[in-house]
Amino acid sequence: MVRLLKPFSIGLLGLALHTSASAEEPSRHRFELGADLSYVSVSGHQSWTEGGAGKLRYDDDGLVFSRGFLDVGLQLTDTVELNLDIELYNDDLGPLADFTEAFVEWRPLVDSANRYRFKVGAFYPRVSMENTAPGWSSPYTISPSALNTWVGEELRSYGMEASISRRPASLGGAHSFSLHGSIFYKNDPAGALLAWKGWSIHDRQTRLSDILPLPPLPQIQPGMWFQRQDPFLALFMEIDNDPGYYVSAEYRYSNKAMFRVTHYDNRADPRAFENGQYGWGTDFNMLGMQFTLPGDIGLIYQWMDGLTVMGPFIRGAHVVDADYYSDFLLLTRAFGPHRLSARYDRFGVYENDSVPLDDNSEYGHGITVSYAFEMNKNVSLAAEWISIYTYRDAWEYYGLEDEGTETQLQLAVRLRFGNSR
Amino acid sequence: MTLRDYITGFSQAMILCLLGGTASAAPLLVKVVDRDNLPVSDVAVFLEATNSSSTLAPPGTTAVMDQVDTKFVPNLLLVQSGTSVEFPNTDTVAHHVYSFSHPNQFKLPLYKGNAHAPVTFDSNGVVILGCNVHDNMLGYIVVVDTPFFAKTDEQGVARFEVSAGEVNAVTIWSPRFKERSETLSKPLDFVGGEDKTVTFKMEKKLRPPHDQKSEALLWSDY
Repeated sequence: MVRLLKPFSIGLLGLALHTSASAEEPSRHRFELGADLSYVSVSGHQSWTEGGAGKLRYDDDGLVFSRGFLDVGLQLTDTVELNLDIELYNDDLGPLADFTEAFVEWRPLVDSANRYRFKVGAFYPRVSMENTAPGWSSPYTISPSALNTWVGEELRSYGMEASISRRPASLGGAHSFSLHGSIFYKNDPAGALLAWKGWSIHDRQTRLSDILPLPPLPQIQPGMWFQRQDPFLALFMEIDNDPGYYVSAEYRYSNKAMFRVTHYDNRADPRAFENGQYGWGTDFNMLGMQFTLPGDIGLIYQWMDGLTVMGPFIRGAHVVDADYYSDFLLLTRAFGPHRLSARYDRFGVYENDSVPLDDNSEYGHGITVSYAFEMNKNVSLAAEWISIYTYRDAWEYYGLEDEGTETQLQLAVRLRFGNSR
Repeated sequence: MTLRDYITGFSQAMILCLLGGTASAAPLLVKVVDRDNLPVSDVAVFLEATNSSSTLAPPGTTAVMDQVDTKFVPNLLLVQSGTSVEFPNTDTVAHHVYSFSHPNQFKLPLYKGNAHAPVTFDSNGVVILGCNVHDNMLGYIVVVDTPFFAKTDEQGVARFEVSAGEVNAVTIWSPRFKERSETLSKPLDFVGGEDKTVTFKMEKKLRPPHDQKSEALLWSDY
């Protein structure tokens, strides 16, 4: 811990000196440096991050270095920005520091009623309406919804995204419409974790070179159906050399209402296999909306429904053939520097195949309550309580009850330093 | 208008009354209410001057459109044509302010602080402001060819001191209007020396104000 924090604090100091030195000539670049130190108290199964069946991130009670991040935007020209998002984790899933996103965005300013945007690199697909703060953090809770936790776990697009948006002046400028389309590679195993581990609620994003553990699945043991699968997942791989795509449309009415629909399909060949990893053909539809309600209460609702398939098509289904869905309702209210948020999550996976010892069905729900206090621009305190109920037959494979409720209390000191707010 | 302005105006009016002043300036109040008779603030109100020699602002007239917390402040700025508007960026993030509103279009490439020279607006009309970095930033500059302009206050009232024959029509505009025509006008049969209130009542429901200070949600792009 100390070994870990020392270079980090030196880095902080360096950046602080840098900004104070350049205060007279403000930088056009944007950066945000963050660190979350937490006390956690958990009850539940061994965490999936340790190769267990548990839905939550932490295993042991005590103090932890939850995350560090550096989110920078380097202005290469007036309209071209290089975005780098580096995440620091003190766990066994990858190196100390690694990228979660790295892309170049071009925002040409052309005299037209339309605005155009182009992204090239590795970036999140356009799904989450919670993770809008630097470092893909949620301004509302420490841990995003089950739906967006999955986006952070398994989805990343290596490719390009083009966007067009329009804000008609004839409608008073309050209405804006946008369309987004992306073609991407290197996300063929996406869906594996959702089928074999299930939904989760936590704030650990998968970085570009992370290797994720799998629960002790009987079906991947030697002599079993999927014995070729490595006992871990490498998610950002191109297996069938065929790109995937997503398209998204959004409508926004001032700061009052927003609607977003996204269709995603990684178009992976479910029979493809490479380097210990299967291709998982994964698609979903997402509908999201957010509103500012009377009393200045914020509401976000997102719903997702999809299908993931792996292996050959036999007797009406792929070898692994699972429908999945999740939705959540988040309510949030700021009282000056204080913020209260509450969220209700529902999730499920319904398997269409009947391969023995590979039952990936589950359903469950979760409640998350969070309070945050922004002491000043650099320090805030946050408390979050999560309770997640799951029914999952596969838990019996590991000698566990097939249903259970896991809880986690997290008290965090969140340090933020930057010029992006 | 500050309290001091009101007091100054009021005491000047008192002095004029005491002096028994004839045909000099008297208050003209323009009031804007919605269809439920509730006052509408931040409406641009301007009076058509009878004498067309005062269409341009005196040389050296300046105004400020600031950027604070990724918002244009004020959200709506009224200026007379010929005014030079400064666009300081008070935020710690860089902005890239532009407008494509003909014929007042301009671009201020990515900057912080007072990096750019002021922009002079010579043509009448509404200038819709945007930021190429922050899609949700939206502001307005209303350029008028008269020295008589004001925004309505919290009571929905804009107050003018004009003399008889100096003005002959009143026009109002707000991005919140959904009325049949873009601006609303009324002729002024205004005889100086007496108080007068002109009231505009909206027929349609107003759009909600864009520049609310809501902290409910973070509406930034992702």
